[in-house]
Amino acid sequence: MSSFLKIAIRNLLKGPSTDPYPYGETFVPKGLRGKIKYNAKACVACRMCEHVCAGGAIQIREVSDKSGLEFILWHNTCAFCGLCEHYCPTKAIRLTEDYHTAHRQEDKYRYVEKGFIKYVPCASCGTPMVPTAPELLNVAYDNVNKDIERLSKLCSKCRKEKVCG
Amino acid sequence: MKKLLQKIAKKSPWLYRINAGSCNGCDVELATTACIPRYDVERLGCKYCGSPKHADIVLITGPLTARVKEKVLRLYDEIPDPKVTVAIGVCPISGGVFRDSYAISGPIDNFIPVDVNVPGCPPRPQAIIDGIVEAIKIWETRL
Repeated sequence: MSSFLKIAIRNLLKGPSTDPYPYGETFVPKGLRGKIKYNAKACVACRMCEHVCAGGAIQIREVSDKSGLEFILWHNTCAFCGLCEHYCPTKAIRLTEDYHTAHRQEDKYRYVEKGFIKYVPCASCGTPMVPTAPELLNVAYDNVNKDIERLSKLCSKCRKEKVCG
Repeated sequence: MKKLLQKIAKKSPWLYRINAGSCNGCDVELATTACIPRYDVERLGCKYCGSPKHADIVLITGPLTARVKEKVLRLYDEIPDPKVTVAIGVCPISGGVFRDSYAISGPIDNFIPVDVNVPGCPPRPQAIIDGIVEAIKIWETRL
């Protein structure tokens, strides 16, 4: 009897253990894998995310007027596995801690994360190419000097000619 | 009398759960949402019921496998109108990682009119509560 009373009094003092959500704030555990955020400026269109995506949620394709590449991620088939973030060389894809995914049926096919990579002309020949993100240079080189900066503005063909002569 | 009943019914929709070939991940989250005091879905006036004939809001998990399809559709027809359908997890919404498999007949909205989607693999209990809140809003307009 006394042990029961002890527990009852302790629980009374502790207050409710129910999470107040949706009427109040809730907690988010650190490192929760939620909705994906995409940064087109850091993306180099290597398409690794598209390749490793377990749910087939990611698509990278050229837009119809051929002015750049479009990144589309459909949240409704993303399994939050985080493989895309793990394999992204420039960390252009990040998993946020946003778990608010409920939406109406009419928004089903509009529930996407989109990004657009605009082609830039090669500094030497003018061929449209995917811009080289500074994040990629930081991964590839210890210190980025002027020569490397200049090479990064060239398309792969011109770069080869410049380096190998 | 009818008006009074309608007013009361708006505040207490009963939930019914259909497992359409789910891996049980989403079902565990649904059980967590309903059964443990931390998330306690009964605060919203909802209550899980065991019979489809008592249900108002239907929660569907799983990608609708070929074997279970007929049974799910039969069960769904037993639920009286008006009803609100909520798809829980990525599987019923798009097929998720099982999409294009020979064993899958889904996505579920090819056969059943879905009202709210809660994607996630599985979604958090809070996200499921979000979906149920959205479903209650639709439920109030349908009565």
